[in-house]
Amino acid sequence: MHKLRFPSLAALLVSALLVLAACGSSTTPAGGAATSAPAAGEAATSAPAAATSAPASAPPTAAASGEQPTAAASSGAQTTITWGFWGSPEEKASHEKVAAEFMKTHPNIKVEVWHQPWDDYFTKLKTLWASGDSTQIPDVLFLWPTPSYAATGVLEDLTPYIQKSNYNTKDYWPALLESASYDGKIYGFPRDIETNVIYYNKAIFDEAGVPYPTDDWTWDDFMADAQKLAKIEGNGRVTRYALAAEGGKWSKFVMQNGGSILDDMRNPSKCTLSDAKALAGITFFSDLMNKNLAMRDAALGQAGGDAAVFQAGQAAMILQNSSRVSAFNAANLKYDVVAAPIPKGGQRANGAGGAAWVMSAKSDNKDAAWEFLSWLQSSDGGEKLYTQSGEIFPALQTVAKDVFLKQTTPPANKQAFLIEGEASKVGAFGYFPDWDELSGSIIEPGLQKVWSGEQSPADAATAICGQVDTFLKDKGYPKK
Amino acid sequence: MATQAEQPSLPTVAKRSRGGWRPGRQNEAYLFLLPSLLGFLLFIVIPVLGSLALSLMRWNLLTPPQFIGLNNYIEIFTRDPLFIQAFGNTLFYAVTIVPLQLVAGLTVALALNQGIRGVKFYRLIYFMPVVSSVVAAALIFQWMFNRDFGIVSAVFWWLGDVTGLPIAPPDWLNSSAWAKPAVVLLTVWKNMGFTMVIYLAGLQSVPEELYDAAKVDGASPWQQLLNITLPMVSPTTFFLLIIQMIGAFQLFSEPFVMTRGTGGPAGATMSIVMYIYQAAFKYSQMGKASASAWVLFAFIFACTLVQNWLQRRWVHYETGEG
Repeated sequence: MHKLRFPSLAALLVSALLVLAACGSSTTPAGGAATSAPAAGEAATSAPAAATSAPASAPPTAAASGEQPTAAASSGAQTTITWGFWGSPEEKASHEKVAAEFMKTHPNIKVEVWHQPWDDYFTKLKTLWASGDSTQIPDVLFLWPTPSYAATGVLEDLTPYIQKSNYNTKDYWPALLESASYDGKIYGFPRDIETNVIYYNKAIFDEAGVPYPTDDWTWDDFMADAQKLAKIEGNGRVTRYALAAEGGKWSKFVMQNGGSILDDMRNPSKCTLSDAKALAGITFFSDLMNKNLAMRDAALGQAGGDAAVFQAGQAAMILQNSSRVSAFNAANLKYDVVAAPIPKGGQRANGAGGAAWVMSAKSDNKDAAWEFLSWLQSSDGGEKLYTQSGEIFPALQTVAKDVFLKQTTPPANKQAFLIEGEASKVGAFGYFPDWDELSGSIIEPGLQKVWSGEQSPADAATAICGQVDTFLKDKGYPKK
Repeated sequence: MATQAEQPSLPTVAKRSRGGWRPGRQNEAYLFLLPSLLGFLLFIVIPVLGSLALSLMRWNLLTPPQFIGLNNYIEIFTRDPLFIQAFGNTLFYAVTIVPLQLVAGLTVALALNQGIRGVKFYRLIYFMPVVSSVVAAALIFQWMFNRDFGIVSAVFWWLGDVTGLPIAPPDWLNSSAWAKPAVVLLTVWKNMGFTMVIYLAGLQSVPEELYDAAKVDGASPWQQLLNITLPMVSPTTFFLLIIQMIGAFQLFSEPFVMTRGTGGPAGATMSIVMYIYQAAFKYSQMGKASASAWVLFAFIFACTLVQNWLQRRWVHYETGEG
């Protein structure tokens, strides 16, 4: 059962070794193809292993709920579908519980689990799709970024199923379904939505004599509080930062100030980062860093990430989605959350996106796969179970209001997540296939010079926009 | 019992092995070689040729490959600043890591070759990093270099406090100037033990008579080092130079783990192999990745040829001279 649960670092090392082994001795220089061949072999042999591990783990959960006999009795007319996802052992256990719950109410469908650690997931999935063997490819699976995959034709268009079964797409947060759409068709249902709020350490606020923030605070309020919360020694050494926020969160500030990354995030023709409004958003974030109020991106990674520095009291606040709640509750931290501050004259904004459940176009049991998929994304199916386990902030508004909001565990101000959820917009990332490369190879590296304090926002944005425009032209954007 | 069984069978074994070398009966030899040849063919020759073919195509794993000629090569050299940057970074790694490793390894080996007490203990200490996990080491170094909370920086802050001077540590991994040296420090620390061990073996094969003769002639220790030790270990140096250079060109895990896979800040630490990995497994550009791998191969191959040619000028082989 534990066979496939590599800690992610081991997986990382394995992939590193694969690459190094492929180009290791001077006779074998080929990185790309040489590694993809063993990877394909590995995927082929490990997929059955994953399939066999599912039944092995099913009996304890089923037996515990006393449903084992009925499930076994009806196995004669069963359809089997494979369900693929990544995640830690804890997340895998939570997914398996959801699968068991589904099989309890749907005895005619058997769900087998295909689980891989995050580092291997996409490579293995791609090699499976490349092999074209529909018995090996998961029928329903977790995916990000959905539009890139949809563009290659490996995903099933869900629009006909939605119409046929009257599935309610209105319950999703605004603009969220669009992150799983391509060319006007829906290819997936996001399981959760990234709603970034400010977590604050109450003990540090008390100590610094700063009143707890409220949901209507502004950038100026934030800056004033931050100056009181940070502890900076005379020589410039910072012993406590006011804010620890991953560099990748910058787009929120740009959107809040009414700026944008590209003129059209679906089908762009040019970069707009160097426009005044976008620039002011980047400057707000970089000012915090240059004044030693916010931890620089690289330093945050070095210190172990935002959860680590928040728990250690090295940062008074973090900007993050709901994924930190369970860890902070387990650590018995004295904290609360509040909506992110917005600039005067700006707007509340949250980039709408989240990994989505999709259906493989190669699935052999599409009807069963749809039944499972739509159950996962229903207000009394998977969405409710995941929300109850404290794992997600749900993609469905009714579940957020009926389940998420009514939990009694901290943080007290759960409304903050809903405030941000309602402000969800297109804008944090592109909805076209080349976005990943554009963002990963041009935009983020270019902005790192700002986060490291080596370049001014204006210079960096001008340089980035020059490269982005060339990239877009090379790839033939805007399309049509 | 064993000797009894062996005695009578000896003649037949001898006959068989003699018979094996008769002309026309060598096919059996190929049969024995077959498993490793098959492995070589399946896992090295075919994938390598496959990657050469892929380097001429556009392929994202999901849609069928598309032949585009030399476009991948043209793209990485003309339209991808990151490739050029990664290439420059890799050259920086090679010209810093290789000499540092050789000098540090030789220095430690010379010190440990003096017959000081507890030599085995010191050897263990210096060799330990070689067998430790690179991921663990890189994570620890990453923490050590943190500006505010790291132990390396703490020394700088402490110096500043003690002397009253405005001394602040470099913001190692956050600075495009200092991030590469941080990676170099980790790599040298990690692999120095390997050069040390090879040098120790080389030093121990230098005949003692040479030193005795030099002492009689009144050579100082420094002259002995320059005129006896260095020339005598030059074959070792040559071997290490080639191995370390290839290793430095293929640096991956150290910068990958230290920068959490980003190669940042702004590509300042990205090595060629990291670039290949990113192109292949992050952006699914198998063609571009294969093309980069072949460029790297050609470069390493050329460097090794040049080294091999240059060695005639400075490598002394004892047998050749005698």
